[in-house]
Amino acid sequence: MQDIYDFEWEHLGDLSEGRPNLGSETSVLVYRLMQYSFKDVFSKEVGKKKTLDLFVKAGSLAGKAFCKNILDTSMPFAEFIADLKEKLISLKIGILMIEEADEQKLEFVLTVSEDLDCSGLPIFGESVCDYDEGFIAGILEEYTGKKFRVKEIDCWATGDRTCRFKAKPIKG
Amino acid sequence: MNPRKILEALNTCLKNAMQKSLGKHGLVFPIDPGAIDDEYLKEICRRFEAIFDMINESYHYSERLAQGDLKSKVSRSNIFAMPLKGLQASLNHLTWQARQISEGDLNQQVDFLGEFSESFNQMISSLREKKIIEQRLKQITDVLAEGVFLVDSQGKIIFANPKAIRLMGYRFEEIQGCPIHEIIHKQKPDGTLYKTEKNPLFVAIKSGENYNNDDGVFTCKSGFLMPVSIACRVVFKADTWDGAVIAFRDITEQKKHLQTLEAINTLLEKQAITDPLTGIYNRIKFNQSLAFEMKRAERYNTPMALIMFDIDHFKKVNDTYGHSAGDNVLKSLTKLVSANIRKIDVFARWGGEEFVIQAPGTSLDDAKKLAEKLRTKIEAYDFIEPKNITASFGISIFQSGDDNITVINRADEALYRAKHGGRNQVVSHA
Repeated sequence: MQDIYDFEWEHLGDLSEGRPNLGSETSVLVYRLMQYSFKDVFSKEVGKKKTLDLFVKAGSLAGKAFCKNILDTSMPFAEFIADLKEKLISLKIGILMIEEADEQKLEFVLTVSEDLDCSGLPIFGESVCDYDEGFIAGILEEYTGKKFRVKEIDCWATGDRTCRFKAKPIKG
Repeated sequence: MNPRKILEALNTCLKNAMQKSLGKHGLVFPIDPGAIDDEYLKEICRRFEAIFDMINESYHYSERLAQGDLKSKVSRSNIFAMPLKGLQASLNHLTWQARQISEGDLNQQVDFLGEFSESFNQMISSLREKKIIEQRLKQITDVLAEGVFLVDSQGKIIFANPKAIRLMGYRFEEIQGCPIHEIIHKQKPDGTLYKTEKNPLFVAIKSGENYNNDDGVFTCKSGFLMPVSIACRVVFKADTWDGAVIAFRDITEQKKHLQTLEAINTLLEKQAITDPLTGIYNRIKFNQSLAFEMKRAERYNTPMALIMFDIDHFKKVNDTYGHSAGDNVLKSLTKLVSANIRKIDVFARWGGEEFVIQAPGTSLDDAKKLAEKLRTKIEAYDFIEPKNITASFGISIFQSGDDNITVINRADEALYRAKHGGRNQVVSHA
């Protein structure tokens, strides 16, 4: 067995062959169960801060792969966003909305409603969508070629009704 | 404070609120929990106070949202404000979408907002169709062979297709917003300036009338007056006219061709009635004129004389000096005779070396005098090769009932007698 694992899109497999009866979809419950149980175990192994960092990194890896394999990076910005929005809805990941966009500075404020990570959660007092922060940063990096820092500023877990993210390119 | 009193105070507060709405101060919990001794009751009242605060905050938050304050904040723990936060996020996104649409981004769609989504997405669909139509219109105007201007109700230019720009020699920025009657259609074909109130294009635009002119001119940037065919059609907005579309064609080449054609036609007409060698009328024209003059003489009972003359021994001239010299004699003779008859007399070459003169209003005596004058002029003239020639003359006078043939035959018969009487003489038909 190798010491490390390198993810590739093909590792996701062929669901039409693997699940001819149950199909390619499952419930958000299953997704959250896996995510939160990972968060629990990792935080006890490596600490919470490290755990959240790892979730962001994993989200970024997933976002880049998602962008490469599902989206068309040759589209102009407005069309790319429209396509991204449509794909996130069709894959039941969330409902993307842009609140602010500065295409020159590449700074954005966007919301994802009915997202996988936190929609319907009680108030924890802190935002929980670390994986989504990475996922959005990964998509933006793949589209623009620049590294991004994405911070969740509002979340169901902090009492809002949507997840609001601020995205900025990392200088240097 | 006992529970009953607490409930009564609460009831009064709620009753007021339900009758008079929340008002400026909002819903205020009427009891100070700190004043309650019972710890359990105190905790309940504190909870009620917190709920009342949340209701107030939520109420004012929704007021601000209703007034369009989309940056409004509310505390995170306010459970009543939570659906409104979702609404605020949707409104913020819609604001961004509206801005995008105004900048031409027609990729926007609204999802999961019921009827609003339907209406919004239908609006986007209509805008997309409109954009396609606009693009097609632009393609059409770009390839048109005609120049097209669009002007507003004041006649100011708001659009020009590439052909119009090319023909006029301007850049669009130089003429945009300028009144078309002051910069393009400002002169008459003779170059003089139109007075504004008399400028036909200006008048048509201001009065909402259509206007056509196949004989106008447009003033190019270079100052060149381009002949144009103009069609001006009024544009309507609702029921009011709101400017005009002006289509025009450069007809410079067309005018040149027309002038050439007219010149050719004139030439052909002239050739049809003219003797090619001498330039005087031919037999066809003479017959036409003779018929007309005889009708006039008949109607007004005026005299009309016909003089027919023939060069004596002309065959000898050709044989001796050549046909070229013979032609020169004919040309010189016709010049000589033309210079010695009136403008109203019709002089034609009848054939070969034979000529006729139609002299309206001329009696027999006058005709004889004229014929004799011409005979002596011809006899005395130096034709060079040969030096001298003579001509014989026959005269007939119009008689009522005559036609071309009868009057000409009489002149011909008189000429015959002149020839046989020794030539170089004038004989009139008796």
